[in-house]
Amino acid sequence: MKRFTVILLVFIFSVAIPSLRSQDRPDAPKEPAQKELRDDSPADLPNYDDDDATLEPRNESKDPGNGSPDEPENYDDEERGAARTAPKRDAQSMKEGTTSSPFSQSQFVPDISFVLDASYNHRDRDNEIYKTQLRPGFIQSMSGEAEHEHVAPNAVMRGFNFNYAELTLYSVVDPYFDLFAAIELTTAKVLIEEAYFCTTSLPFGFQLKTGKFLSSFGRINEQHAHNWDFYDAPLVYEAFFGGDLNEVGVRATWVAPLDFYLMIGAEALQGANAASFGATGFADPNEIMRVRDSDDPNLGVGYIKTSFDIGDLTVYMGASGAYGRSRINHGVDQAGVAGTAIAAHSHVLGADLTLKYQFDSKRYCALQTEYLYRFMDGAYYAKNETDIVEEYALVKRQSGLYAQLVGKFAMRWRAGIRYDLLAVNDIKLDGIKESLPESLPRYSAMVDFNATEFSRFRLQYNYDHSMYVPRDGSFASRPNHEVVLQVNITIGAHGAHAF
Amino acid sequence: MKRTVLIPLAVAMIASVAAPLRAERLKVVTTYPYIASIVEQIAKDTVRVDALARGDYDPHTIVPKPSFIAKLRKAHLLIINGAQLEIGWLPPLLKQANNASVNPGTRGFLDLSGHVTLIDVPKSVSRAQGDVHPDGNPHYYIDPHVIPRLARAICTKLSEVDSRNAAMYKKNYDEFAARWKAKRASWDAKLRRLKGAKVIQYHKNMDYLLIRYGLVRMGTVEPLPGIPPTSKHIAELEKIFESNTIRFILQDVYNADDSSRHLSKKFGVKMVKVPHDVGAVREAEGIFSLFDEMVRRLTQ
Repeated sequence: MKRFTVILLVFIFSVAIPSLRSQDRPDAPKEPAQKELRDDSPADLPNYDDDDATLEPRNESKDPGNGSPDEPENYDDEERGAARTAPKRDAQSMKEGTTSSPFSQSQFVPDISFVLDASYNHRDRDNEIYKTQLRPGFIQSMSGEAEHEHVAPNAVMRGFNFNYAELTLYSVVDPYFDLFAAIELTTAKVLIEEAYFCTTSLPFGFQLKTGKFLSSFGRINEQHAHNWDFYDAPLVYEAFFGGDLNEVGVRATWVAPLDFYLMIGAEALQGANAASFGATGFADPNEIMRVRDSDDPNLGVGYIKTSFDIGDLTVYMGASGAYGRSRINHGVDQAGVAGTAIAAHSHVLGADLTLKYQFDSKRYCALQTEYLYRFMDGAYYAKNETDIVEEYALVKRQSGLYAQLVGKFAMRWRAGIRYDLLAVNDIKLDGIKESLPESLPRYSAMVDFNATEFSRFRLQYNYDHSMYVPRDGSFASRPNHEVVLQVNITIGAHGAHAF
Repeated sequence: MKRTVLIPLAVAMIASVAAPLRAERLKVVTTYPYIASIVEQIAKDTVRVDALARGDYDPHTIVPKPSFIAKLRKAHLLIINGAQLEIGWLPPLLKQANNASVNPGTRGFLDLSGHVTLIDVPKSVSRAQGDVHPDGNPHYYIDPHVIPRLARAICTKLSEVDSRNAAMYKKNYDEFAARWKAKRASWDAKLRRLKGAKVIQYHKNMDYLLIRYGLVRMGTVEPLPGIPPTSKHIAELEKIFESNTIRFILQDVYNADDSSRHLSKKFGVKMVKVPHDVGAVREAEGIFSLFDEMVRRLTQ
């Protein structure tokens, strides 16, 4: 009986195992007896030798240009293992056909990706003190104001922070357009970070983009946060744009047909940026003072960018300008509380320079710097608790810059240092200069580990010397030390990033 | 001030609009140098051909540069390797180039991978398997038998875009195919002697060559595509070295070769740096010398 069982088992195994194996590997090679390490590929390549025949003219018009071989499939093959030589697309559609209806549109699903960004933040200030801190003349509160869409990343509190998640969608629309959307999800709300469509077939190097998008002003503005080299936005971008210039409007670009890269672009935007622009007017509760909505579109942006290579060094530079009306309201319309507002014309000018040196296929070193200058000319309104509004002539001249040096010194490791500075802080009310700190620096260092291009872990240190607290009608310096451990994970079909 | 900026700008714009009206040389841009070299064989100096990537860099992770955009902007024809080898770097460049005539699906675009049969098409795709290519192994051009097929696709496309010179392209293709056939016979003779030899490669980028000539693939130095070697994986590989006679370790020119060198030293197995593209090593100056050098390094 026992012997019978053994024989039966041996029989079953001898029959079952080869059939299982051949299921796994339908084209398994016969010759190598050894088990190959993960090499489960078929052993045969198609015979291309008939290609040696000279070109027949009849073939020339056959190429459909969409990637299929330029001659009809030889169906004689089918008798001897056609699956092996059949083009992959046919095999795919055959498989598809077995699972879905003939009207299935699953092949048209756009590229979808999901990005998650979380961090552990430590600061040597209590949250309560941090909330009272400010960058005088630039950022009036670190508490994150409710009407601002985007809380600045460094306005986060101590401890674990879920910074954002981002859902991106991309697809070609038709032969004329493509569409990209980035939907930012926080634990409390859903924001359309970007949603725009772009022309793909305009002649002579033109392209139009319409929707809500990150302006191409400057260098870093267009990049999504998960593509930044540091955890936080440069100080000057936080000061002038509240993080980034992200607007609804139209963009036109033109790339010159030259031997080096030259791009010129112009944008007409609604102009709703909370830090420098804004279209919505305001009035005090008694409607004695009233500032009308500005005409729309309210903001114009233009830029010119160029790049060339000197050996392994890539030079990239640009100049940008933004001009628009400012309607900035900080509670001037609320009765019984103090509030301020600005109605002005604003210019922001920028210059950027990037030098990237590629040591070899995996290693580079990049220096990136931007300088921004803001000029604001208009009126400043200050309302006290009894709703009396005083109006002053306002002139603001401010500037800031950042310079960062980032090196990728191994396949998975990068390190970088950054210097931020808000430099000129000249604010005049009725021609009298406000007493404000003139130089607000921040120093940062980071190292990140990229396990793959889809997962990144970053450690960053900031010595933030731009922080002040109000004291006796003036400001007292209160520098912060900050340490951030950040994780950034991407899944799905996420498009490659530009330069 | 404004006028001094605007006038040259207007001139440049008018020039760009007028440029296509002027007869000029066809501008062909290829992603990799090996494709440019085939184009040169077919078109000689009738066209201007530019390769974007450097031949000695990792083809998967070419670093995008704005200068590539400038080349793409002026191209009449773009020829890519395809099979998602360019997915990590080409799409944003192409998008920024604002050149409608070389977009995928247009007449000025050629994806060579559509003209060959790919191996290792995964049945399911997961990034847990590393840097996988859903369309199959994209390093198909490493097989000398496939090159005439690519050359023919290029010849057909050139004739379509530039029909005035079709007869010349065909003549050049025929010459090229004949020359290649003669060359290939000598490569075949040399490489067939390696049949049955067991090899370890760093990345599965030589599969098409190894399968063609019957070499036995015993594993890769990287544990998964695009993931650098780990000590655990090297320990597994060492077991394979202990129980098999490994003929070569095939190492590319762009990845760190520490692990391959370690294995080479420990087991006395020769590490061969195989050029994967034109320009990968100094000797590989064109499509012929690329294969000459590849064969020389494998057989010497």
